[in-house]
Parts: sequence; C-alpha cells; structure tokens
Amino acid sequence: MSETTTNPHGIAEGHPDQRPMIVLEGVSKTYPGQTIPAVAELDLAVPRGSIVMLVGPSGCGKTTTLKMMNRLIEPTTGRILLDGEDVTGVNADQLRRRIGYVIQQVGLFPHFTVGENIAVVPRMLGWDRQRIRQRVDELLELVGLHPREFRDRYPRQLSGGQQQRVGVARALAADPPVMLMDEPFGAIDPVTRERLHDEFLEIQRTVRKTICFVTHDLQEAIKLGDHIAIFTAGGRLAQYDTPEGILSRPANDFVAEFVGSGAAVRRLHLIALSTLDLDEIATGSSPTAAALVTVPLSGSVYDAVDAMLDAQTSVVAVVDDDGQAVGALRWNTLVEKLQLRGLHP
Amino acid sequence: MDPISYLRENVGTVLFYGEQHFLVVLCAIALGSAISIGFALLVSMDAGSQRWSLDWIVGAVREGALVVTAAALTVPSLALLVLLLPLFGLGAATTVTALTIYSLYTVLRNSVAGLSSVDASVLESAKGLGMGRLRRLIWIQFPLAWPVILNGIRVATLIDVAIAAVAALVRGPGLGQLVLTGLSRYGAANAFNQVLVGTLGCLVVAAVFEIFYAVVERLTVPRGIRV
Amino acid sequence: MSVGGVPGLITVSRRRKGMRSYADLLSTPLIVLLGGAAVALWVSTRTLDDIEARALQPSAILSDLGQHLILTAYSTLFVIVIAVPLGILLSRKGARRIRNVVLAVGGFAQALPPYGVLVLIAFAPAPFGFNPFSVIMGLVAAALLPVLRNTVVGLRQVDPALIEAARGMGMSGRATLFRVELPLAVPVMMAGIRVALVLNVGTAVLATFVGGGGLGSLIVRAQTLNRPIVLVTAGAIVAALALMVDWLAGVAERLVRARTS
Ligand SMILES: Nc1ncnc2c1ncn2[C@@H]1O[C@H](COP(=O)(O)OP(=O)(O)OP(=O)(O)O)[C@@H](O)[C@H]1O
Ligand SMILES: [Mg+2]
Repeated sequence: MSETTTNPHGIAEGHPDQRPMIVLEGVSKTYPGQTIPAVAELDLAVPRGSIVMLVGPSGCGKTTTLKMMNRLIEPTTGRILLDGEDVTGVNADQLRRRIGYVIQQVGLFPHFTVGENIAVVPRMLGWDRQRIRQRVDELLELVGLHPREFRDRYPRQLSGGQQQRVGVARALAADPPVMLMDEPFGAIDPVTRERLHDEFLEIQRTVRKTICFVTHDLQEAIKLGDHIAIFTAGGRLAQYDTPEGILSRPANDFVAEFVGSGAAVRRLHLIALSTLDLDEIATGSSPTAAALVTVPLSGSVYDAVDAMLDAQTSVVAVVDDDGQAVGALRWNTLVEKLQLRGLHP
Repeated sequence: MDPISYLRENVGTVLFYGEQHFLVVLCAIALGSAISIGFALLVSMDAGSQRWSLDWIVGAVREGALVVTAAALTVPSLALLVLLLPLFGLGAATTVTALTIYSLYTVLRNSVAGLSSVDASVLESAKGLGMGRLRRLIWIQFPLAWPVILNGIRVATLIDVAIAAVAALVRGPGLGQLVLTGLSRYGAANAFNQVLVGTLGCLVVAAVFEIFYAVVERLTVPRGIRV
Repeated sequence: MSVGGVPGLITVSRRRKGMRSYADLLSTPLIVLLGGAAVALWVSTRTLDDIEARALQPSAILSDLGQHLILTAYSTLFVIVIAVPLGILLSRKGARRIRNVVLAVGGFAQALPPYGVLVLIAFAPAPFGFNPFSVIMGLVAAALLPVLRNTVVGLRQVDPALIEAARGMGMSGRATLFRVELPLAVPVMMAGIRVALVLNVGTAVLATFVGGGGLGSLIVRAQTLNRPIVLVTAGAIVAALALMVDWLAGVAERLVRARTS
C-alpha cells in the first residue's frame, strides 16, 4: 500500500476501501487545570489496514492521542472519525468493543485467570463457551504462551513480559478491526520481541487490521510501521511519513536528532533484497554457492550486511524459500546498487 | 460456687442468651452491611470523565456520610438505646437498630476505601475493553474490594458484640442479661459468676463469628487475589 | 492497601487529600460548637417542667461533666502511657512470639464488653469495688488491648526496606525508631487509637452503674423519669466530649508528626 501513503492527508479521496480508517481533524486536548495542551491541533489519517507507529519523547502525548481514539479521553477540540463516522456520536462502550486496546500499564484483572482475562470481550458479546475456549487457546498460542500451562494461571503468577502478551491477546480476542496498542512489547526480551514482531507482521499480512502502535523504540517503529508519526513535546506532530521518508528526509532538526546518527544503517532495514539487482553467481569458479554464507531473499540489505560482517566475508549468496541461490551480493558493489536505487526508486 | 460448676448447671440458659446475642448482632451486621455497602457502591461507581459536577456532588455526599456515621459512633450506646426506645420499644428492635447504626461507619469506610483503591490501570483497561459503569462495578471493582470490605464487616462485628451487652439495659436480648442480673443481685450467690460468664461469653460469640468469616472468606475471595 | 483495625474518625477521610490541614483542625470544634448551640437553642425554646429544669441545672450538669472528664482523662492517660511504650517494645524484633499473641488477642478483645468488665472489677475486693478507681481501671482494661494492638500494627506496617535503608545509612536503632519508624507509623497507630479513645468516652457513661458517677447518671435519670429532653442533652454532651477527645488526639498526632519529620 505504500504507493498511496507518502502523503497521508491526500488519502481521503478515491476508492472507498482507500478511505482512511481513523481520521483526526484538528484534535487538541488540554487536561483540566493545565495550561499547556497535551495534544495540540493534531491532524492524522490512519489508512485502512495499515500500521501507524506513534513515537516521541516521554510525555509528548502519545497515550493521550490513543485514548482519544477510543474515547477514554474526550478531546477539547477537533473531530475524530472512525470509518467515516464521528466517534462522539456513538455509544462509547459499543465503540470500544470494536477497538482492541492494549493499555501501557497492562492492567490485567488480578482476580481473573489468564483465560478469563482474554475471554472478557467475547463474554460481553455473548459468545458460547465452546467458541470462547477455542479462541482463548488460539490466542495464547499466537502470543507464544502454551495454553495448557498458562490458561488457568492468575496474572500475579506471570512475569511482566508474559502479562503484556496476555494483554495483547485480550485486546485481540473479539477480532476487532482496529487495534490501539500502547507499548505492548515494552517488557519483552529482544529475542522474544523479534519473534513477536515477525508473527505480528505475518498475521497482519493476512488479517489487515488498522493499528495504532505506540513505542519508544525507533527500530521497532521502522520494522513494523507502514507509517511513523513522530511527536514533539507538547503533542505536536513533527513528521508523519513512511519509515523510509523519516529516515531519508527528516522534516526538521527535531526529527533528524530523534532519528539520530546511524539513520543510513537503519535504512538498510527497509531495502528488501528482492528489490536489488543481484550479481550472478559464477558457477564454475570457486568459491561455489554452497560454500558462501547465505541470506534469505525475504530479508533486507541490513541482514545481508550483518551476515557479511559476522562471517568476515565480502560476498553472500541470496537464497529463495527453497534454498536455491538466486544471486550474490558483494560488498564492493553494494554501495553502487544503493546509489542506483536512490536515483531510481 | 466456682464459675465452672455454675456454667455446668446453667448451660441451657447461657446457651440461650449466647444464641440471642449472636442473632441480634447478625441481624444488625447484615442490615448495616447491606446499607453501607449499597451506599458505598452508589458513591464509588467509577466516574465517567464527563459530568464533572455530578462527580463532585457524589464525592461530597460520600465524605458527608463518613462524617455523619463517624459522629454516630461518638454517641454513647446507652444514650442511643434510650433515645430509640420511644420509636422501637423495649427489646430486640431497639437493640438491632442501635447496633446497625454503630456498624455503619466501619463497614462504610472500608467499602469506600476498598472500592476506591482498585488499581486505576485495571479500571482503565476494563473501560477500554468496552465495559459499562455497572459492569465494571460488578465484574471488577466489587470483587477486588471485597477482602477489604469483609475485613470492615469483621471489625464492625467485634464492636457490635461488645456493645450488644449494654442493650440488656433496655431489655435487649443477649448475654448482657446475665451481666445485668448479676449486677442487680450484687452480693448474692452466683452474682459474680453470672457477670463473668456473661462477659466472657461475648468472646465466645465473637469466636463463632470469626470462624464464620474465615469460611466466608475462603469461599468468596477470588483465588487470584488471595494472599 | 489494608484498612486493618478500627479506622480513625472524622478528619481521617479528608486528610487523604493532603491539603486543607488547618481547615481540618478547625472543623471538629466547629461541628461541636454548632451542635452544642443547636441543642442549647432547642432546649431554650422548650418550656421545661420542674423535673427537667432541675435535671438540666448547669451546676448539676457541670458536676456530672466534671466526674466524667476525670474518668475519661485518667483512663485515657493510663491507656496511652501503658499501651504505647509497651506496643513499641512489642514491635521490636525480639518480641515476635508475644507480639503474635497480643495481635491475635488484641483484635479479639474488641468484642469484650466494657459493661461486663466494669461490673467484674466492681465486684473485685478492695481497693476495687463500687468506686471511681475501679471504673478507671475497668476503662483502662477495656481500651488497653485495642490500643496496644494498633500501636504494634502501625509500627509493623512500616516498610522493612525503609528501616533497612536507615540502618544502612548508619542510624542507630533508637534513631531509626524515632526518626523513621514512629513518624511513618503514627497515622495508622492513631487511626486505631482514636477510635478506642472515642469509644472509651462513651463507655464511661456506664460508670454510673458501678458507683463512678459521670454523665451516665444524667442519662439514667432521664430514662427513669422518661424525659427525652434531658436524655438528648446528656447524649449530646457525651458525643461532644468524644469528638473533642478525637480532636485532641488529632492535634497531638500532628504535633508528633511535625516534631519527628
Ligand atoms: N490525567 C491527566 N491529567 C493531567 N495531565 C495528564 C494526564 N494524563 C497525562 N497528562 C499529561 O499530558 C502529557 C501527555 O501525556 P501522555 O500520557 O499522553 O504521554 P506519552 O507520550 O504517552 O508518554 P510516555 O511515553 O511516557 O507514556 C504529559 O505531560 C502528562 O503529564
Ligand atoms: Mg504513554
């Protein structure tokens, strides 16, 4: 969908399916008794079926923005449209059952078991027992918790990261079309987090939910986001763009500094190997393809470079899903290829 | 006669008074708890963010009720009992009413404290999942506050068991009758034993209540929050 | 959070909100004054018959009030002087065994009827008997265990990590007690103590049945003469007294906290 998305405010026109799922128009929030708004004059359109990552320094209004979308907080001014409908017009509880919400502090119900926590929304929607039970087990599997082991535990018997995953499963329970996730993977170790990211993207490829995702981790934002919204303190939007756009064309000094040094290296994540013209592997000569370090075609240039440095070699073989070599990538020619790609995107 | 043989000879009477004592306190506590908990639920319903002024009024009513019920605790039991006499007559009704009044504050305060101490993030996630006010109250707030509320009921019961002894002065039922009889027969045989048995009998009644509450706690406090 | 023993009285709920400390201090005397004025006004608008007028003579009321004050003051004083230091001792590490017994018995002792205790002590041989001395002893006996228990509970609920931190900074055991433990324990301690003391004022009414005098005799007279107006007056005076004791305890609490922290 990245064709339609470089200009988020232009998406509104066209095909009904291209109509954004969530639209914020001039939304501000000033908490009672405060003079500085937590969110100021925010315009934001979240395209249907895409993931928007909200990043920014602590206290810049990310959580506030999320909570206004499901009306946990009412905006001081402005309008919020969900699927073209003004949210202030609908019953807040009904609205929230259609929007999965993963709260920053997890907020599991301590007197419910893991299974009961996940079953809350299905129960409210009146599903039958059998279906609820199936769904609970399915979701536990999904977030990498063994149902048999975890279903009947209580939240206090889980680690922080496990609690977070139950929180995600709970929000997903009734399969809502929209998800609001406030730092859902904050307390999870890098390895598990990496795995959850992959699964998350895998699921998203098929279910196409509209997701607003708050994170402090730029890496996470780049990996998961179709778009990234970078906030400055005081709840202003500094830049709203694709990850590529953020990394290569920071709109201002704040974004540049936020992205920080290493933007070029980070950008390598965004370049899929499949989009590069790979060198041929000379069949006759040694080293043969079999002897080369391999990276999967589905990976990014970042993975390829990582593999090269790791193996201290200047060439890697790119292999497809069946393990067949489709080409080689050489250190010497890499920069050229990137330049070329930069000129003709 | 020593207290033990007195007790042995009058088991029936003592048991009768003890049972009365228990029942009177039970009635009062049931009534007082129902009133206090019901009221606490009404004024502790997790507020919506709008309707700011209504929440302010609810808060004022809550604090006001705490002050009034606390003040009721300062009225001496004898005065309250006598004051209620014209309304309810001699006997059980006056006693139960007075004991109910004395139980209000402790239960109310614990209920309000318990209901308002429920973790904000838990309530917010309940809201975020689309639970309405009432459902949040019943599914989340009340079960989580219940151990604190139950503790309030326990303490109120202990206080009421002690105060119930005074009710004998307005012909109220219970072990106070033994104390009163003993006092009026000062110097006579067994007068001391009657007072002693009446006084210590209250502890036995309290013990029965404690066992009762231990069982209730086992049965009603959700396993996930049992300490 | 646990709301353990009997909670504190009127000002407690409001103090949660932090501010308004002086408004707090003034509210109880104000309530007492207003209530007193209301009762006085009500009495003055009624035409009193002979019996009522005699019972409500200021001199008669004052003498009853004086006796009542003496009973409550002495018993309160004794209870605090005995129970608080004892509670502090019991809260030390070495006293674990006895402490657990006291905690269990102390909670339970709230169910011990002061009425019975007073009569029992009056029945005891000299120097006990039907006299003010045994009334005071009876009141002390009734209030002692709850206050003791609340002292211990208040001190024990102080976060052990804080005590450890204080010791780690090189504070002596005594300094830790006075600078860390007591200031942190005072609110919880006082909550329980104040209720015990308030109930004590009400209990002193029963002194009249065992020769102790006090405002209880006014109440009993009102009952036997069937004069509600006398009853209400007497009840209101006792309630006002109880509120003032609660208030004094609150002031003391604040002084202790200001001194120690
Ligand atoms: N209920 C509230 N009342 C008053 N001010 C609030 C409230 N909630 C948040 N704020 C303020 O609004 C601003 C934005 O808060 P918000 O929670 O949206 O930040 P955030 O971007 O989610 O931060 P973090 O990354 O630390 O979670 C902060 O300055 C915060 O202090
Ligand atoms: Mg936040």
